[in-house]
Amino acid sequence: MATTASPFLSPAKLSLERRLPRATWTARRSVRFPPVRAQDQQQQVKEEEEEAAVENLPPPPQEEEQRRERKTRRQGPAQPLPVQPLAESKNMSREYGGQWLSCTTRHIRIYAAYINPETNAFDQTQMDKLTLLLDPTDEFVWTDETCQKVYDEFQDLVDHYEGAELSEYTLRLIGSDLEHFIRKLLYDGEIKYNMMSRVLNFSMGKPRIKFNSSQIPDVK
Amino acid sequence: MQQGWLSNWLVKHEVVHRSLGFDHRGIETLQIKAEDWDSIAVILYVYGYNYLRSQCAYDVAPGGSLASVYHLTRIQYGIDNPEEVCIKVFAQKDNPRIPSVFWIWRSSDFQERESFDMVGISYDNHPRLKRILMPESWIGWPLRKDYITPNFYEIQDAH
Repeated sequence: MATTASPFLSPAKLSLERRLPRATWTARRSVRFPPVRAQDQQQQVKEEEEEAAVENLPPPPQEEEQRRERKTRRQGPAQPLPVQPLAESKNMSREYGGQWLSCTTRHIRIYAAYINPETNAFDQTQMDKLTLLLDPTDEFVWTDETCQKVYDEFQDLVDHYEGAELSEYTLRLIGSDLEHFIRKLLYDGEIKYNMMSRVLNFSMGKPRIKFNSSQIPDVK
Repeated sequence: MQQGWLSNWLVKHEVVHRSLGFDHRGIETLQIKAEDWDSIAVILYVYGYNYLRSQCAYDVAPGGSLASVYHLTRIQYGIDNPEEVCIKVFAQKDNPRIPSVFWIWRSSDFQERESFDMVGISYDNHPRLKRILMPESWIGWPLRKDYITPNFYEIQDAH
């Protein structure tokens, strides 16, 4: 496990990507630190100051409530990071451990690295970014709106877990929440199975009629 | 309660312990304090218990203490009924520290690591005490009674 790089989940930028034959998508949005964590960690305070300088939003600790409100009120949909056409695969060799931080389940692949959507260059020097590959096996039929819902949820989750340790466990928590979110979308009929997919095994349950997520207690 | 000969021997040599009786095979069970355990382990080894048959750990009760259990055997030539004893060492959950017996019985290496991984007892002086079954970034001690399993996504419904 690559624990050599920055030990805290503090993505100043966030890269959302979806790699599908049809669409390619990348997102950028800055993320701030919660004040409690920023007081604990000297280094994070420094980073927060830089962040605040960039954002022109110096958040004093007593305004925590307001900031939380601001956080719940979304300013807009999550924006993709700009594509880096010159990105190269870096830090993948044996000297760097030959490993990477990831959470991979069938529909969600999260990597703590930048991945170029065209060339698949895997740049592990940019561990401040999280890259999301949504449904690489094409099990569901996706539209732009439903994709955007998943990206927004991903952005919310990353905001929620900011300050947490950047580890496989945290990424797995995020990825599992996203999978539960996709299951909820499926139960509510917003997405459906792609009947032309290569492996058709209904991994989130067989199709049913007159059924939605309110009948499943453990789906959020 | 009837005391076994080992308990009597320990009393004679002024070793602090408490007898917990005998198990179904008639093997004596002793409770020993965590701070005495490293010295008593040396005493038991010198006496002749040269084989650590098994080491395990369990959570006694919710809100209770953690227990680390050692089964010791005295292996000798020409003996078909070797002496055995079972040692239990208890540790509080807020600071579960127990001396490691790795430097006495090397076979406790992986077993103490597993005990650390599952119930979170930290063994002092263990050379490489880290998780052995769970991923190293795992949070929590899975075999404690107050452990709550995270809601990780698994494929449950694939056909």
